[in-house]
Amino acid sequence: MADPLQLRINLLSSSFDPLQLLQRWQGDLQQPCAAASHFIGRVRATATDGEPLEALELEHYPGMTERQLEVLARDCCGRHGVLHCLVQHRIGRVLPGEALVLVAVGADRRGPAQRCCQELLEALKHDAPFWKREWQRNGRGQWITGNTPL
Amino acid sequence: MVSVAAMDRCGDNPSIRILLFASLREQAGWSEQQWHWPDPPRPTLTPEQLWQQLQLPGDPQRVRVAINHQFAALNTPLQAGDELAFLPPISGG
Repeated sequence: MADPLQLRINLLSSSFDPLQLLQRWQGDLQQPCAAASHFIGRVRATATDGEPLEALELEHYPGMTERQLEVLARDCCGRHGVLHCLVQHRIGRVLPGEALVLVAVGADRRGPAQRCCQELLEALKHDAPFWKREWQRNGRGQWITGNTPL
Repeated sequence: MVSVAAMDRCGDNPSIRILLFASLREQAGWSEQQWHWPDPPRPTLTPEQLWQQLQLPGDPQRVRVAINHQFAALNTPLQAGDELAFLPPISGG
């Protein structure tokens, strides 16, 4: 039996245009969604201490990160009855203003689409093995030990 | 005890692959090592015991543990051939 969930997950080591990826994803869907919810997260221009940010470094755990993203997406989509899901996440060095994460969910109703998108985003922020390090212009790097408030 | 299946996975020298990431890797000064199973094998070995034996920095309660790419508890019994990772606080998305 075919997997009812259309799930696309990618870790990207170079910059991407989230709107282009969204357009391509929607064009590839086997059937159009009546409701879609999207989240695009971009790198801030300032570090947590307020100083200008040179770049953000994203480290991951090869193998586990991909596996965990799939586990989280399948769990979340299953609970909300969602059939279309896209997760794109940068790794490596990401510059201020560049897209860091894209989550898109397609469903039949706005409620499941919006709730699933938000829950999946929170899940990947807390339960997918990624680590951020802020690099400042003076060459100082600082690991981030938590997530920004909701 | 080390099971026959675990011995088969590792040959004659059963071991555990241990990985550290991000700030923990830099504090410890290494990213990966093979931990060789003692001979004779001890009845149980847990991530928390390995943390102490390796003299890793800080409180193990403040890190998360993954065994073979799945989150696990600090007191989960390890098997020869396992891949054990200590994960400092996660910050994705």
